[in-house]
Amino acid sequence: MNIDCPGTRIVIELDKIEKTYLIGESEVAILKGIDLEIEEGEFVALMGPSGSGKSTLMNIIGCLDRPTRGRFLLLGQDISRTSEEELARVRREELGFIFQTFNLIGRISVLKNVEVPMMLSDVPRETRRERALELLGSVGLAHRVNFSPLRISGGERQRVAIARALANDPKIIIADEPTGNLDLKSSQEVMSIMKDLHEEGRTIIMVTHNPEVTVDCDRVIRLRDGRILSEAS
Amino acid sequence: MLEFIAVGFKADRFKTLMSSLGIIIGVMAIVVMLSVGQGLYSGVSSQFSAFDLDMVRVMPGTFSFSMNSPQSRIAEEPAKFTDKDTKALENIVGIKNVAPETSANVIISFRDKNSTASVTGVDPKKEDDLKDKVALGRFLTDSDYKSIVIGSGVSEGLFRMKVTPGNKIRLYYQDHYVDFKVVGVIQEQQQTSFGGPGNSPNTQMYITHRAMKELLGRDNYYYGTFLVTVEDPAQTADVVERIKTDLKRYHKNEAYDATTARDMLSSLLSVLSMIQIALAGIGAISLVVGGIGIANVMMLTVKERIREIGVLKALGATMRDIRIQYLLEAGVLGLVSSIIGITLGVLISLAIGTLGSLPSAITPASIALGLLFGVLTTTIAGVYPANRAARLDPIEALRAE
Repeated sequence: MNIDCPGTRIVIELDKIEKTYLIGESEVAILKGIDLEIEEGEFVALMGPSGSGKSTLMNIIGCLDRPTRGRFLLLGQDISRTSEEELARVRREELGFIFQTFNLIGRISVLKNVEVPMMLSDVPRETRRERALELLGSVGLAHRVNFSPLRISGGERQRVAIARALANDPKIIIADEPTGNLDLKSSQEVMSIMKDLHEEGRTIIMVTHNPEVTVDCDRVIRLRDGRILSEAS
Repeated sequence: MLEFIAVGFKADRFKTLMSSLGIIIGVMAIVVMLSVGQGLYSGVSSQFSAFDLDMVRVMPGTFSFSMNSPQSRIAEEPAKFTDKDTKALENIVGIKNVAPETSANVIISFRDKNSTASVTGVDPKKEDDLKDKVALGRFLTDSDYKSIVIGSGVSEGLFRMKVTPGNKIRLYYQDHYVDFKVVGVIQEQQQTSFGGPGNSPNTQMYITHRAMKELLGRDNYYYGTFLVTVEDPAQTADVVERIKTDLKRYHKNEAYDATTARDMLSSLLSVLSMIQIALAGIGAISLVVGGIGIANVMMLTVKERIREIGVLKALGATMRDIRIQYLLEAGVLGLVSSIIGITLGVLISLAIGTLGSLPSAITPASIALGLLFGVLTTTIAGVYPANRAARLDPIEALRAE
């Protein structure tokens, strides 16, 4: 426990987290007791082969799924037993998502995509427009605001997704293989933005397959068969 | 959230239009039904207001619209009314006046030009109403034989030259003719299309029964109608019953009927309301079909946007947010379709009003009802798809292709 350590705060605390799925008659355990603490401002990489349970773990940390057993505290709030409504609020206000496949909404403009989280938080029209323009400028996409997401490059799409993740100024960024679908140059651009976010003091949890992108991380957590294999700094 | 909906419509304009067709047609049917129904209703009522609603007509055959005695129509011969019936009717308590009339359609010839009109044999003493309406000349008297009183439409309009008292006209019936001298002209009366255009009161002519008998050339002359005026309109129903039972004595196996304009009006109005119900049924069915169509398209839309819904949920949209988005989408679709349907319905009603002879009345109520049912149906149709969308598991939805 790092409670006695001044200046640091634990934003994510997993305590014996288990997740089992019922497939037919038999229970299949995906997570078999995960203990994990992540401090405020940490940049953590999560690695592991497919089937290791890292997606399930990310879904739980991302408040999209609930653990079968164990306790999960996010910013001091017990998430394991909270309502659907409250989970949505946490995702909306405390978390920012970046996906491997960008997941932008194709039928609305780049600008509107960045505005979506603010629409859901009932931010007034003018304010959210201003903030979206500012965020798109900061990721170098001021010239793309009125484009359809379908008409820009992969690297640009992922930068739009990052701008969207930051719309409600979340403390925690959840990135699921953010460079998985990108070429080298775009990957470097995206990682440099991630590094900037880390330097701004945001907590980042990133799933990746690529060891190269973990160089900027404070910590690499390896998962295998539903358990944490090792932690390396 | 409204911005999403607007963008959705823009993207699938064709699909949206097709899916709203059912609703458009349904709303249109409702508006047309209410407008035409209302128009017919007030049209029929206003035409009947020209009649004395409490005048009892006694006629041979079965006359009422009701289907109470269908077999009598086939089995019984039409009653042959004579002066015996006039006497019998005059003896019934509560009856003020009995006017026997016999009508026929004839060819009328004036200065070698021919036309058609309707002539009625009357008893001059019993036709005070007509007497009061004479505009030119005089009405018939008992001593008249080859005298004729003509309606304003016969006087003016039937021939190039005006027919006035003193003129001679010739009436042809079947293979023979009788010459008459015009003695009077009846003033113009309100046109009622009841009974068909040929029966306009303005193209009527009146002669005595004696002359009528000669014109028809029959040995056995019968009255076609008794126009019975009752003393107290409140007693009309009782008088009608008494007429029916008293005439039985003379016409045991013959069909006759006594009815008032009021009875005819109410049976006409009940036929009208049946037509209206049928039209409403058509409207309701197309709305239901339209609603199913909307529900179908909304289900497809939800399926197509399954990933988008997953993203929205991951970004923190609540079930309520998603549900409202899709309900609103259905509602807006319903509103737009209803407005199109109302516009079409109003245009069709106006077209029916001008092209057809059917009157139509577009009332605010019909527009409001069309709007209400259109929006209600689409919103209800949207409930299931919206709930499906709201209940999607974000993890599953994000995995979808």
